[in-house]
Amino acid sequence: MTATTAPHSPAVGTAHRTSVAVIGTGAIGQDLVSKVHRSPVLDCALVVGRNPDSAGLAHAARLGYPTSAGGIEAVLAADRPFDVLLDATSAAAHVEHWRLLADTPTLLVDLTPSKIGQMVVPTVTGTHGPTGRDVSLISCGGQASIPIAHGLAERFAVDYIEVVSTVASTIAGRATRLNLDEYVATTQHALTTFTDVPETKAILNISPAVPPATFRTAVHAVIPGADADAVRSVVDAVAARVREFAPGYRVIACAVAGDRVVVSVEVIADSDVLPHYAGNLDIINSAAILVAEQHAARLGRAAGTGARS
Amino acid sequence: MTDVVVHDPTLRDGQHAVRHQLGVAALRGYAEAADAAGVPVVEVGHGNGLGASSLQVGRAAVSDDLMLATVRAALRRSKMGVFMLPGWGTSADLRKAIAHGADVIRIGVHCTEPSLAERHLGFLAEQGADGHCVLMMSHMATAAQLAEHAATAVGYGARAVGLMDSAGNFLPQDVSDRIGAIAAAVDVPVIFHGHNNLGMAVANSVAAAQAGATIIDGCARGFGAGAGNTQLEVLVPVLERTGFRTGIDLYGLLDAADFAERELMPAPPTTDTVSIVSGLAGVFSGFKHQVLDASRRSGVDPRDVFFELGRRQAIAGQEDLIVDVVAELGEVAS
Repeated sequence: MTATTAPHSPAVGTAHRTSVAVIGTGAIGQDLVSKVHRSPVLDCALVVGRNPDSAGLAHAARLGYPTSAGGIEAVLAADRPFDVLLDATSAAAHVEHWRLLADTPTLLVDLTPSKIGQMVVPTVTGTHGPTGRDVSLISCGGQASIPIAHGLAERFAVDYIEVVSTVASTIAGRATRLNLDEYVATTQHALTTFTDVPETKAILNISPAVPPATFRTAVHAVIPGADADAVRSVVDAVAARVREFAPGYRVIACAVAGDRVVVSVEVIADSDVLPHYAGNLDIINSAAILVAEQHAARLGRAAGTGARS
Repeated sequence: MTDVVVHDPTLRDGQHAVRHQLGVAALRGYAEAADAAGVPVVEVGHGNGLGASSLQVGRAAVSDDLMLATVRAALRRSKMGVFMLPGWGTSADLRKAIAHGADVIRIGVHCTEPSLAERHLGFLAEQGADGHCVLMMSHMATAAQLAEHAATAVGYGARAVGLMDSAGNFLPQDVSDRIGAIAAAVDVPVIFHGHNNLGMAVANSVAAAQAGATIIDGCARGFGAGAGNTQLEVLVPVLERTGFRTGIDLYGLLDAADFAERELMPAPPTTDTVSIVSGLAGVFSGFKHQVLDASRRSGVDPRDVFFELGRRQAIAGQEDLIVDVVAELGEVAS
């Protein structure tokens, strides 16, 4: 089978490279741009913000990428639809972006807690990428905790599960602070969905420590008859899989006392732009890049078989 | 005489001392006794407030709904207070508390993070509720910072604002400086909530009142996290003697304290040695039980654990750090 490029593919001339637009120019957006920059299969085709003087647009321009301060209109005005739009704006804005792009072939990857798309946690939902075209990455705490919670629930009978994440104050922006309720609701919903444990709880702490504390998540579970060695082996296996796309993910503590299990993980950012403690942003962004790369592989396969033309 | 509103979180902060296990009869009995004494505000809830029943801190014996319904029904004159930490409880919990008839709703945030309260204070203002903001672990910020953050909270809609000495770290002069700075910066009532780790809770509360605080917290028999809170039945007569009017009946207050000692707690909190260390280390008093449990299991010195938690600047709600610190100290020791 020859790798001929489908005539309507936006990847014309760069076989199997997939066009990505990034909307949102805060810390998340900047890190996304730098991660797209590092990817061998993704092309950063446009970086969009609202403020022409923002640091995020300047960062993208320095890397040589086209930028616009025109918001979602700039995305809609492109000559042809982007393969992927990474949305690092806000929950309310994402709802509008999906409405505007629902009829295009673009895959939307939502890094806000809007909760409207198909929820994806890469090590849990599989390596082939999502079937829907609006993908929700839930929350940073969700990305850090659900692999462990899901691993435990698959192996043991879990009565209750709870996740407590701690984010450094310096990287918790105003949107995060105003959206704590949505963070809690979205993370709890995802925990229940991916573990089938009816009673779940999500908590978020903002740490003021100086120097800033590394992002961490504690997964608490009630598991009658839990065996410490069995728990540890599940947790280590899960962590190894997460590290395949988020190398800073590591287990800090894993303790079993009676039917109480607590697993703490930390994420150190593997990023050209984020401080090392910003693992919360790194893990959700790494998941976004993985989803985009999986989509690229699917477009490549489709192009290869001619199915997409 | 200056009027001071005594705010009584016995049925909320006291929960920390009994791992959040207060039952309905205890809640009802104490609320009735406090009401009979004319205590202006009786606060109820899980130790970390609405929606906070959790493995992280401890699961409550009684649901929020049942706690609020029980205390509401027991109060005739006193207002009912509740407490909520954003990130733990949500607007849905606030809505529920208002529906249960909560009169005073406190939003707690770490002392340097007033913006975490912006949404919920705004929500309470929209609802016409009496929303207050308390800056927790307030030994971790200067007087000038606290005054600025208090003014920010008032800007968000707080109708009263103040400090919790969550670690029981302050000495009276610390309180005077900080409360004085806040009182000069805002035009709403100023709150002070003490803990007794260094034996200073009553003295600190008097200092707060003298520096301009007009809402002072106290708990029966000092029932509260760690070494306990400001002892209510001591606080009230001391305030009266220093020129502050509380409107509380002394015998009724003493009866409520006796009820509390008999029915709420195995023994009144004392300034035991780990609580002294906790206060010196500046660690949230509510960490005590978990630090002792985890230290005992791993054979490490709980005092080392408290000092290490202080070094890491752990704040209220970060109980998950205890397991890490104990594991790390255990490795060093072995």
